[in-house]
Amino acid sequence: MFKHACRLAFSRLAISGLAILCVAPARAAPVTLQFWTIEKPNQVTQSYALAKEFEAKNPDIHIEIKHVDFADVSNDTMRAIATGAGPDLVTIDNPEVALFAAHNALADLSPLIAQSKVIDPKRFFPGPLASVTWKGHVFGLPRGSNTLVLYINDDAFKAAGLDPAQPPATWDALREDARKLTDPAKGVYGLAFSAIGDEEGTFQFLPWVQSAGGDYDKISGPAGVAALTFWQSLIDEKLASHDTLIRAQSDAFQTFVNGNAAMAISGPWELSGPISTAKFAWSTALLPVQKPGGTHASALGEHAFVILHNSAHPAEAFRFLEYVYSQEGRDWNEFGMLPSIRIDNPAAPQHPQAYATFIEEMKYARVRGPNPHWSVISKAIQAAFQSALTHQAQPAAALKDAQAIIDPALQGDN
Amino acid sequence: MKLAHQRPMFDIAMLGVPLVFLVLICAVPVVYTVVMSFQSVDMFTIMSLRRPFVGLHNYMALFARPGARHIFLNTALFTILSVSAQLVLGFALALFFNRRFPGAATLRGVFLAGWIMPGLVVGGIWKWIFAGDNGVLNAVLAGLHLTRSHPFWLSDPALSLYAVIVANIWLGIPFNMILLSVGLAAVPADVYEAAKMDGAGPVRTFLFITLPMMRATIAAVASLGVIFTLQQYDLISGLTEGGPSNSSNVAQYWSWQLSFQVYEIGQGSALAVLMLAFTAAVAGFYVWSTRQEQAA
Repeated sequence: MFKHACRLAFSRLAISGLAILCVAPARAAPVTLQFWTIEKPNQVTQSYALAKEFEAKNPDIHIEIKHVDFADVSNDTMRAIATGAGPDLVTIDNPEVALFAAHNALADLSPLIAQSKVIDPKRFFPGPLASVTWKGHVFGLPRGSNTLVLYINDDAFKAAGLDPAQPPATWDALREDARKLTDPAKGVYGLAFSAIGDEEGTFQFLPWVQSAGGDYDKISGPAGVAALTFWQSLIDEKLASHDTLIRAQSDAFQTFVNGNAAMAISGPWELSGPISTAKFAWSTALLPVQKPGGTHASALGEHAFVILHNSAHPAEAFRFLEYVYSQEGRDWNEFGMLPSIRIDNPAAPQHPQAYATFIEEMKYARVRGPNPHWSVISKAIQAAFQSALTHQAQPAAALKDAQAIIDPALQGDN
Repeated sequence: MKLAHQRPMFDIAMLGVPLVFLVLICAVPVVYTVVMSFQSVDMFTIMSLRRPFVGLHNYMALFARPGARHIFLNTALFTILSVSAQLVLGFALALFFNRRFPGAATLRGVFLAGWIMPGLVVGGIWKWIFAGDNGVLNAVLAGLHLTRSHPFWLSDPALSLYAVIVANIWLGIPFNMILLSVGLAAVPADVYEAAKMDGAGPVRTFLFITLPMMRATIAAVASLGVIFTLQQYDLISGLTEGGPSNSSNVAQYWSWQLSFQVYEIGQGSALAVLMLAFTAAVAGFYVWSTRQEQAA
């Protein structure tokens, strides 16, 4: 309390000091919102486009945007919160929302949403809404969403005597097709995916566990073991490159674009660039399920807009979030993301077949967590699949070790 | 009179500015890290020193982590192999370029190009070279009929550490070469002349003239090599992220992972403190060895 008062007094002093320094006349200056984004200014991106349009419609609000690297944004935001010098608005990766919310670092948007004439929580897909909800309160707004689907090289399918209109629907079918598509003489693998030892690897692994009926909190159960054994078989049979263990998703997808993999698992971000250089016909399909009629599951990614708890202008920041929400229909065609809400826009989506697959997959996209200890849980899962894929441990033993780290993280709820 | 009066103040200011700079940039973070290594810290309490003290708990938890022994062993291998190979190859190149031949100075300059490149870029380039499926190295090996299968240099846990070491050796050679070249240039020519007149061949000249005269330089380069190698972070980030399954992970990268990926800042700090103590010992050895040299 004392510390807080001190800090407040100090910051007031600093502000009044600044005011004396600035000799500008005190006109009704617009409110300035500090906004940190992972997007870069030289790209045609959501943050800059929407902020500019919003400023034009709301002359009383000025948005000052700062680019922060993807890898740094959580750390920088936490540090900024600790020093009391954070931005008003920031986008953070959706599994991190719980961590920030549990530390009371975020403004609770629930009361604002309840009064909002623009935002209707019922229109959200369940995954995106869950990703920004902590203990029944909404602490963020998905800036868009992404999920994983199976990309298919139609030409390679036909060459192998397969029908691209009949994509593999189960794990067994996927493995069977991958065997037919793999051609070591030509340097072609059946499948490209990422099993890298960071968050991208967890992102790719969990859908398999979930499809088999498990999840991160019971990772050592039969579903986890089945998923990891399946992954192991793909690497061991050389249906996917051994370098899958150190390839990020974009690196793995590039091998698909280059024709070195006949199928790939990746997200919608590939559509706005890499796929355009592919010299073959391609299509998309839902991720295969474990057994015929089994549970569909996919990952849910993308950053969420949050308003920091110590923001001086939460109402103005929320108005910007309302504008973001109202423009979700542009996510697919303009910003390379999926909308987080059920909408009829865009009327004419680019890559219509892929759009249909992705929108269908969004129904099954599941949040990672939410848990404030997500980074610890995720690291344990990464350690498990990496040690099993390198045969340093059996899948069951590796996942048991992970569970031993995850259990205490599930106990402590903050 | 007036001047003499002002000068001490000026001297103090001239001394004080760099001292304040040094304290702020070096001493404060070091002390802060040491304090954090004895505390329970998370990202949200990183700016407040009023945190619970936990004694040696962070250190014990660090050693109890799965993979700790493996990572320490990797760090020792990474450091010893990198520094010794950099030194030997750097010395060989320094001796080579010490022979006067046309273009020697220019070529030596070109060698420096590798050193000025950022570790991340070097990591990106070596990642292409070491790629298992379509990598440059495997293409060369296959062309020479040296390997039948293509090794996965970066994703095979038996190879990944050595692949990272090779890239790090390449990165460190120019620095070693330049410092050792300077050392070689400082060896008086008349000593060599005397040796030649006494009938010493090139091997004996190297063993009994060059090496002893270069002792201080070699100790300095080796110490700096250890320090730089223990700082090597971005190359590992660019190549393998310490994977797969920690097979190429080393203490400095692990410290970052602990602090900024899983937010175990206390343990990350404990590891940083251990590395600092080791580096300080290396620096102490360096100072001691050069002092012996000056006294002799």
